[in-house]
Amino acid sequence: MIAENTVDVYLAELRAQLGGMTLNEREEIVFEIAAHIRDAMEQSGASAGTILARLGPADELAKQYRDGLLIRQASRSVSPVALLRGALRLATTGVSGMVVFFLGTFGYLMGGGMVLSGLLKPIFPANTGVWFREDHFVSSGTLFPPPPAPVHEILGIWYLPLMLVLGSLTLLFTTFAIRTSLRISHQWKAKLS
Amino acid sequence: MAKVRILTSSAESSERWEAQLRKGALEMAALASLWQGRLYGLEIIRALESRSSLALAEGTIYPILNRLKAEGMLASEWVEAEAGHPRKYYSLTEPGRLRLGQMAQAWASFSLGLTNLLQPVLAAQEACQ
Repeated sequence: MIAENTVDVYLAELRAQLGGMTLNEREEIVFEIAAHIRDAMEQSGASAGTILARLGPADELAKQYRDGLLIRQASRSVSPVALLRGALRLATTGVSGMVVFFLGTFGYLMGGGMVLSGLLKPIFPANTGVWFREDHFVSSGTLFPPPPAPVHEILGIWYLPLMLVLGSLTLLFTTFAIRTSLRISHQWKAKLS
Repeated sequence: MAKVRILTSSAESSERWEAQLRKGALEMAALASLWQGRLYGLEIIRALESRSSLALAEGTIYPILNRLKAEGMLASEWVEAEAGHPRKYYSLTEPGRLRLGQMAQAWASFSLGLTNLLQPVLAAQEACQ
C-alpha cells in the first residue's frame, strides 16, 4: 500500500512536470514509466523505493523529456523567441551552446537594428545614413546628433531599401544558423540525458 | 593536504569525463540494442547493462527513446504482455538503421585512431602493474 502510494506520488509529480506537451504525449510517457516500474519490481524483486531511485527524481526525468522537446520544437521554428529559448537551453550544456546563444542574440540585434534604422531614414533623414569625411568612413546608423561637419552622407534615400535588405538577410541568416546548430546538436548528442 | 585535494579533484573530473562519455555513446547504444529486433524499455536497459559496460540511471534511457522516436529513428507500439499490462516496444525504422550504420562506422574509425594513440599509455600502465 505504501509502495503503491510512493509510485502514485512519483507518477503524479512526473505528470505535473511535463508541461508544454500534449495530453497524449504526457499520458503515454507516464504510462510507459508506470509499466517500467511494475516490470522492474516484478523482475528484480526490488522495492518501489529502489526502482524509483534508479529512475532518478521525477522532476529531473521530466526535465530531460522537456529539454528534448524544446530543442526539437525550436529547430523547426522560425520564431526568434523559440529559437533563442532553444539556444539558451543548449547553452546550459556546453561552450558551443553558449557560442550559438550569444551569436544568435548578436545576429538578431544587428539585423533588427539595421531594419529599424532603415525605417527611420524617412523620419530622421538628417540623422540617418552612412557618413564619409573625404574618403574615410566616419559612421553609419541613426545618430543624435549626426557626425559633425565636414562630412557627407553617401546613400541618401537608398539607405532605406539597402538597410531593409541587409537587415532582413542578417535576420534570415541568424535564423538559419541557429536552426542548423540546434538540429545538429540534438541529432548527434545525447547531451541532455 | 593540498596533494590530497588535487588527487580528489582529479578523480572527480575523471569520473565526470567518464559520465559524459557514457552519455555521449548512449544514443548510439540504444539504437544498437534494437538491431536484432524490437525490445521494450527495461529490456533495452538490461541489454545495455549486460552487453556493454553502460550502467546508467534507468530514467536516462526513456527521454532518449522518446527523442529518437520523434526524429523518426524508432517506431513504437504498445503490446499486451503476459505480465498483465501493456509494454511499449521499440524497433528501428529504416532511417534509424541508416543512422546507426553511419554512427557505427564513425565510432569504429574514431576508437581505432584513439586506441593507437593510447597504446603507449596503456603499455606503460601494464608495465607498472
